[in-house]
Amino acid sequence: MGQNIKVLKEILWPSIFILSLTLTIAVFPNFIITLGWASDDFLSIHEGKIGLVNLIVVLIGVVALVLGTLTVSHSENEIAPENIFDKFALFIGRVTMLLVVSLVTAMFAEVVLRYVFEAPTLWANELCLWMSGFVFLLSGLYAMQQRNHIRIYLLYDILPRNIQRLCDTVSVLLILFFAFSMVYGGFGEAQAKFLRWETFGTAWDPPLPATIKPTILIAIILVAVQSLVNLIADWNKVPQSHSPIDETEVESIVQQNQRES
Amino acid sequence: MFDIATISIILFFSIIVLLAIGMPLGLASATLAIAVLCMKFGPDFLYGRFGMGPLNIVAQRIYGILTGYVLISVPLFIFMANLLERSGIASEMYNSLNVWLSRTRGGIAIVTSIMAVIMAAMSGIIGGEVVLLGLIALPQMLRLGYNQNLAIGTICASGSLGTMIPPSIVLIIYGLITETSIKALFTASFVPGFMLASFFIIYIIIRTQLKPEDAPLPEPGPDEVESGEKTKLFLTFLGTVFGGIASLLFIRVVFFTVTGQNEVKEGVDLITWGTPDYIYRFGLFILVIGAFLAFMGISRVKKSWNMGKGLVAPIVVIGVVLGSIYGGITGITEAAGMGVVAVLFLTIIRRELTLPLLWDSLKRTLKSTGTIIWITMGATALAGAYTIAGGPAYIANLIVGAEMPTMLVIFIMMLMFLFMGALMDWVGIVLLVMPVFLPIVLKLPVEELGFFGQSLEPKHVAIWFGVLFCMNMQVSFLSPPFGPAAFYLKSVAPPHISLTDIFKGFLPFIAIQCLALCVLVVYPSIITIFL
Repeated sequence: MGQNIKVLKEILWPSIFILSLTLTIAVFPNFIITLGWASDDFLSIHEGKIGLVNLIVVLIGVVALVLGTLTVSHSENEIAPENIFDKFALFIGRVTMLLVVSLVTAMFAEVVLRYVFEAPTLWANELCLWMSGFVFLLSGLYAMQQRNHIRIYLLYDILPRNIQRLCDTVSVLLILFFAFSMVYGGFGEAQAKFLRWETFGTAWDPPLPATIKPTILIAIILVAVQSLVNLIADWNKVPQSHSPIDETEVESIVQQNQRES
Repeated sequence: MFDIATISIILFFSIIVLLAIGMPLGLASATLAIAVLCMKFGPDFLYGRFGMGPLNIVAQRIYGILTGYVLISVPLFIFMANLLERSGIASEMYNSLNVWLSRTRGGIAIVTSIMAVIMAAMSGIIGGEVVLLGLIALPQMLRLGYNQNLAIGTICASGSLGTMIPPSIVLIIYGLITETSIKALFTASFVPGFMLASFFIIYIIIRTQLKPEDAPLPEPGPDEVESGEKTKLFLTFLGTVFGGIASLLFIRVVFFTVTGQNEVKEGVDLITWGTPDYIYRFGLFILVIGAFLAFMGISRVKKSWNMGKGLVAPIVVIGVVLGSIYGGITGITEAAGMGVVAVLFLTIIRRELTLPLLWDSLKRTLKSTGTIIWITMGATALAGAYTIAGGPAYIANLIVGAEMPTMLVIFIMMLMFLFMGALMDWVGIVLLVMPVFLPIVLKLPVEELGFFGQSLEPKHVAIWFGVLFCMNMQVSFLSPPFGPAAFYLKSVAPPHISLTDIFKGFLPFIAIQCLALCVLVVYPSIITIFL
């Protein structure tokens, strides 16, 4: 029972954060108008301003983000967070995990509604597509914090630690250069789509381009920053030998199977 | 700025250098995508004005793959496999399979292979499978005094079948980046997958018959059933299972008829096994099965059910996933989603699902998703940039212009895959190498592919090459120095079994995999049997 409560506690802030974000995205055109970012074209389609309720929702979301980041806890199969960036990455990971659950739920709902009740929804497929975009992008941050991105250790592992540090530094600089280039080239389009609140042009018409385009750049920046944070955090660590497999995965399977037998 | 020959050479060496210094694969390719654009257009043009320019192509490529519906099946299949691995379904299945073959020579090894095939048909990844087989079957085989190499090889080779038998995450990613129908790839890989599995089983049978000391028979248990009776029990169990499936299909077709969903409409495909005439067919079938079961007697039905019921959960999962894909009910993505739901329901019924288990599976899912998707993003960006620079066409012309014999080109590619597979993860190979290799293969004269059988239709060449690649990656899971199956087994094997021992046990099985690969190369039309 205590285990269940621990998980529920871990889910609390991420759930509130997702809820607040959903409610905010639903009325986001009003935010664009109120903040004065709207163009004349935009004003001819949308109208309305945000009220106190919207601001409270945003505030709750920010509080959930801050508290969730500060109180995030890790399990024994995860690399422990060492600083605030790691904690933030873990928190975003938790949010993403809940998105996966929502995705499965939406898909199940759609199949049941379509084949059993003959009442297919307009929204389910597009909602899945939209959420999966966030899942794909943000899972990269979690994988980066967990040092899980696939690297080839053939040569790396036999190098002296100082050379390893040099290699890592070069890698991180290149990643930062990549992130810089992406923002340099993609900022214009991402900003324009965001401010236009561009929708997908489909039946349910979610603001998929408006949200995913900027998220691509944000996710790349976050991953690049995380790689820098990892470099600093691992700088003085002793060299580890790397196995081609994730040993924590094996541990977790073994644990579950022992629990049952 | 540079011509494509120079860009290609620089790119080739930069990839090697970046991978050698241990840069994450996905981010290395993404960075090189920028570099290729830089070499093509020159930095002045690229970084001329902030916020726009050709660099945005990379972001657009990434956006393009992120909004593909099929890609969603990747995290879903991973999630499903993670749930399965943490449930007791596998160990129960082992008991239910073992009971039928316990008196056969080499029985546990054969059971291990069959179990691996069933697990492969449930999930599309490897890793967990090898771990589970290592946890369940290895101690049994070692306890009975099986030859250690045979035990190890069987577990790892069979455990790697996960990506060869549909659903397969290798084929999903291949289909995504080459724009090949994933359903066709799955269909095409059925025969080669089962062929490979049956090669393993034939090898085990022959070896244990020739050298019985490799697989000693266990002492018969006190309540051991004699073999004639066992056959009857097995037939009874099969009857029960088929009867159950037929009843479900019967209910389904009755439901369709009552709600009128299966009325014949112009332009709408008929529902598979769902038109009203199937009421009579299934009804008749159920009656026949019922008579058979009545003949066998209720006590046998009960007994056989208790012996085999561990197979029911896997059959349900396979039925849901493959049934969704091939029954024309849903696409690959929904099939994966339904698979997750089916496994969740099964674990709830079995009282295994706990919140921590679910949470742990999600963490695993997220990790694997993050790594695979970010490599996909990075490599797609690189492939896109390289295509803009004219790379694949240049290389294809180079190879085709060299006028090498067609099969020599295929042979060299296979060798390169085997070599790269020994050093790199399959996902890196499919994403980085396939955009270069596949255009070459598609340009080769189709009638010269293979030595036996009819020549392939041009539209099947990409499918054939995908299955060929998938078979090739089977070897990569076992090949030293990094064959992941070896490391998975090492982590759960008794400490006295060293990594070298494990790789030694692989040798005959690697030979079998190469044999299957050769069959696929010389006889391409084997993939079209079900297409």
